[in-house]
Amino acid sequence: MSAMTRHIERREPATVMRLGRLGSLHQCRLSFMRVLTRRMAREKWTFSCNAFEISEEGVGHAVYTAQGPERVYSLVAFAHDLPPEKRSDRVIAEAWDATFALFDGVPARQDIERLSRNVPLQEAGRVQETELSLSRANRSVRLWKHVVDRLACGQQPDPEQIASVGYLMRTTAVYGSGKFGAADRELIADREELQAPFQVEMLSVYLTRCFVRDLVEYMARIQGGEQAVRLEPQIARKLGIGNSTGLGMAPFIVNHPILFNNWIMAREEALAAVRSVETATGEQIVLFRELFERSRHSVMAWHSEHPVQIRKLHDLKRDIALVSEYLEQNSLETAFPWDQLIRWTSEELSEEGQELIVSLVLEPYGDLVDGYAACMADSNSEAFVIDGSMTVAELRTLIQSNFGWALELDWSAAENCARAWYVSEEKLEPRLGERFEEPIADYEQPLAPARDAAIAYADLREWDDKCLVAEFLLQKPEHRHTVRRARMILDAPYGEIRDNTISASVLPIDMLRAKLSFFGATHFDPRSDRWVRICMYAGAPYPEELSEDNADLWVYPEVPQ
Amino acid sequence: MSYSLNEVEATAKRAARGAGYSWGLSEEAGKATRWLCAHGLDGVGALCVLLEQGLADDLLPNAPQDLSSNRNSQRKICPLLAGAALSDFSAQRELPVSMQKLAVPMLILPFVASVARRLRLCLVVNCGDAVFSTDGVRLRAAGVLPEKAGEVTITAGDITGDETAICTRASPSAESWDLLNSFARRTYAPATEESRLRGAGAGLSDND
Repeated sequence: MSAMTRHIERREPATVMRLGRLGSLHQCRLSFMRVLTRRMAREKWTFSCNAFEISEEGVGHAVYTAQGPERVYSLVAFAHDLPPEKRSDRVIAEAWDATFALFDGVPARQDIERLSRNVPLQEAGRVQETELSLSRANRSVRLWKHVVDRLACGQQPDPEQIASVGYLMRTTAVYGSGKFGAADRELIADREELQAPFQVEMLSVYLTRCFVRDLVEYMARIQGGEQAVRLEPQIARKLGIGNSTGLGMAPFIVNHPILFNNWIMAREEALAAVRSVETATGEQIVLFRELFERSRHSVMAWHSEHPVQIRKLHDLKRDIALVSEYLEQNSLETAFPWDQLIRWTSEELSEEGQELIVSLVLEPYGDLVDGYAACMADSNSEAFVIDGSMTVAELRTLIQSNFGWALELDWSAAENCARAWYVSEEKLEPRLGERFEEPIADYEQPLAPARDAAIAYADLREWDDKCLVAEFLLQKPEHRHTVRRARMILDAPYGEIRDNTISASVLPIDMLRAKLSFFGATHFDPRSDRWVRICMYAGAPYPEELSEDNADLWVYPEVPQ
Repeated sequence: MSYSLNEVEATAKRAARGAGYSWGLSEEAGKATRWLCAHGLDGVGALCVLLEQGLADDLLPNAPQDLSSNRNSQRKICPLLAGAALSDFSAQRELPVSMQKLAVPMLILPFVASVARRLRLCLVVNCGDAVFSTDGVRLRAAGVLPEKAGEVTITAGDITGDETAICTRASPSAESWDLLNSFARRTYAPATEESRLRGAGAGLSDND
């Protein structure tokens, strides 16, 4: 990689870190699901179902085990009989169709007994250091019933119904990193297989998908007896796991600026490396064209009823038609074909289309791109420490470089601070409220770094250039979080969102999508401006099918011949 | 009951905020409490003792302008503010540093450790009969720190005493964990039906 000349710079943070663009990101080679499936295939992980003790009513537990080269992990799944009136994807729900914990090792009887008293309660229960994640899922009522009914009478489900929903169950929260008593991230971060971000959560969902397939086949067998059949593998493979994500995820990318920087930086570095490729081989061009066709197919199957996403999908389809024309007219055999293509997209396509092509040009270059996955975690705990010997002049420059756009904004104007982020007493759920209509301002969370930077900057006017930040903070401790961020961002140019996160027009779904795209999610379907449904692992091989041949490009559906 | 260190840090941060500290100092409180628990000390109990003293309401007069000349003041110094200042001024200030009437001296230890890490020094904290020394990673302790306030001197020195246990979990008393949570609760907006619907943007059926 180092031998290659890199003449293309990364895209500017001012371009990349706008909410509109972050809300148009697509999965790519660096997505955490694909990092995991590639690793499991490469390292020849083995999988087994160690227990499946489910009653005819569909109540009980199952254990799925994943064995890697050094360690073993087990999904402990509990199936429940949930009355429809209790089915809610909201975090305030108190019961679910299924609940899960990812166990570090193989659970003994007494572990399962302990988990059975806690995992079904989710936030109201407690787990411990042997548990790496805690999660739950609800059925897609419509598709679940259809699939059970069909399989029970010996038929396969209707492919159109499968395509229109995409999953049998959707997770509504996957908690990791010390939540509710689980093991801290720090405890497992040095394990090679968990070094990349969210590998625990991605493994949990991967095994959950397998359990859900087995459960639906089992329920069909209970209902249909002898005549019941199993899902045909190619139909089962189309089923992903849905996910319903609300505001809880939005603060994450603000609260973890270095981690978020590392994700964006990895993708931007990878893009710059690919744009610097002088000539593409025939094989690389063929792969790019094939995956473009396959992602066109995926976009055609992407539905949403939300007006914002309907408009974006409309633009994206137009973009795809334009790219098709481009690819008919351009052989990609010219010098710097990918740079040329990216430059063209930035002038001709919507942000949805631009970001789709960014993700696609990375595909033929696993050798240039995949290594960046190792740089996506945040292991720099010392970045928390403020350098008090920095001068006031240096601090001003730092704030200007990140928040120049925000310093001139009138932050007292209602439209610029219409919203406030707060935490509700109810299950500590993060929410977004109307500052001037609800009594929430006193509870505001520090999720408007641009506004806070502008206030600190204004206070700095009265301070001499040569004064130390240490002196400033002793008198103005209210700016301590802003100064800390400014210092962190010095080495993390993509750490700050360059938009107003409390404006009257902010769309929290943009923040959700930015994060979910790095998970590898597809088919974003906003259900309002503040929660979104997605699909995970649709098209992926199941554990018993996983091989190096199918571990990576499964996210692009095969185009029917 | 045992808690993960992330739970401790998150709850401590919220509790400090609930007690009136700025967000930045609350972040320090979270990290400091976590560090103490990770080194086998009762960080949760210590933070509770501090928050109950209510120093956050009147923080600026407590600002340790000159950490060694607090002798005439009746006021206690807040260890979060003093610790943050100790860390911020670490490149400027010469050792030893003394602090009079430092509230909950245990809470200065994580800041001393952070400075020790950065300066690549071993630092020794003397307070009454207690001597704590740290190179930033390990912590060695001899004697018991006064709970509410004391005079603290920080010098460069050798690491001595019994090494405290490195812990991956915290086991605070139920009483102090509840107290910490009651401070944290002050940062949560009361739930209303309106916020339940508007604030999270729900309203569609999930039975589909």
